[in-house]
Amino acid sequence: MSITVNIHQALRHITNNQATVNVSGATVGECLADLVQRFPDIKSKLFDKKGKLLNYIDIYVNAESSYPEELAKPVKDGDKLSITLMIAGG
Amino acid sequence: MLTARERERYDRQIMIQGFGEEGQERLKKARVLIAGAGGLGSPAAVYLTAAGIGSIRIVDHDTVELSNLNRQILHWHEDRGKSKVDSAKEKLMRLNPDVKIEAIGDTITEANLDHLVSDCNLIVDAMDNLPTRYLLNKVAIENNIPFFHGAVYGFEGRAMTIVPGKSACLRCVYRGVIPEEKFPVIGVTPAVIGCIQATEAVKYLVGVGELLINKLLIYDGLSMQFTELRVKKDPHCEHCGQATRKE
Repeated sequence: MSITVNIHQALRHITNNQATVNVSGATVGECLADLVQRFPDIKSKLFDKKGKLLNYIDIYVNAESSYPEELAKPVKDGDKLSITLMIAGG
Repeated sequence: MLTARERERYDRQIMIQGFGEEGQERLKKARVLIAGAGGLGSPAAVYLTAAGIGSIRIVDHDTVELSNLNRQILHWHEDRGKSKVDSAKEKLMRLNPDVKIEAIGDTITEANLDHLVSDCNLIVDAMDNLPTRYLLNKVAIENNIPFFHGAVYGFEGRAMTIVPGKSACLRCVYRGVIPEEKFPVIGVTPAVIGCIQATEAVKYLVGVGELLINKLLIYDGLSMQFTELRVKKDPHCEHCGQATRKE
């Protein structure tokens, strides 16, 4: 099962400047775990020490918000995940 | 009624289908609060003033610094050290003397918010920090005032329109907080987003087109792509999920 993850600009230095990464998994949580396995430094940017998604990270599946219980959301082959970070600059 | 000068000044936009003199009169009657006279507030204020909004109240507590000038286009080199709202008012009045510009050099707080939004038809969120954006979102929901959100970081910008009672609000989308820190930005990013906020505000007032409601528009200047993310009203939202709105 191949899922495409869009990596936010602010995290691309961790993914060797790749804007998208293909991962495997049946849920959002499994896909992010696969991403972390490939790029371990991204873990602390997405999760707190208890493994909970940080509250300024949002995950969209096929451009739709996966909140709440994002990590349990099922995904299917060909889906696109977008990792977004809150921004507040003006 | 529009004056002869106004008919001439706004001739090209009055020509737009669905706009007409009636739309222009709606803009003339509008009272807009622009929260922030910086990167987003500058283009939003310029285009709302040019479009003929009747009255604009612009609020910011800062003074102009050299490091603002790559993006805050209402302020010029000689304005360093001036109050941002005074600098903004001076330029906006020169751009369009028919628009009433009210400059308030104050920090937006819970204590003064009700006063600042009083008699305003809509609020443009041109702030640079989340806590104040949340305050504005809450007061907009409570008072049934449409709220036009924008934010920037580097080459990325976001915009969303919140119509209380009809759409997800900022708090439905953003639940956490991020530390206030110096953020990277190139001036063209708030230029794009501030203009989108002004476009949304004009559309709302005139009653044309579709608004960015339940949609978070993401602009990526590096790949030159616009993406719409669908957002949902959160029934448990602490701002719009409770019975806090004044019906």
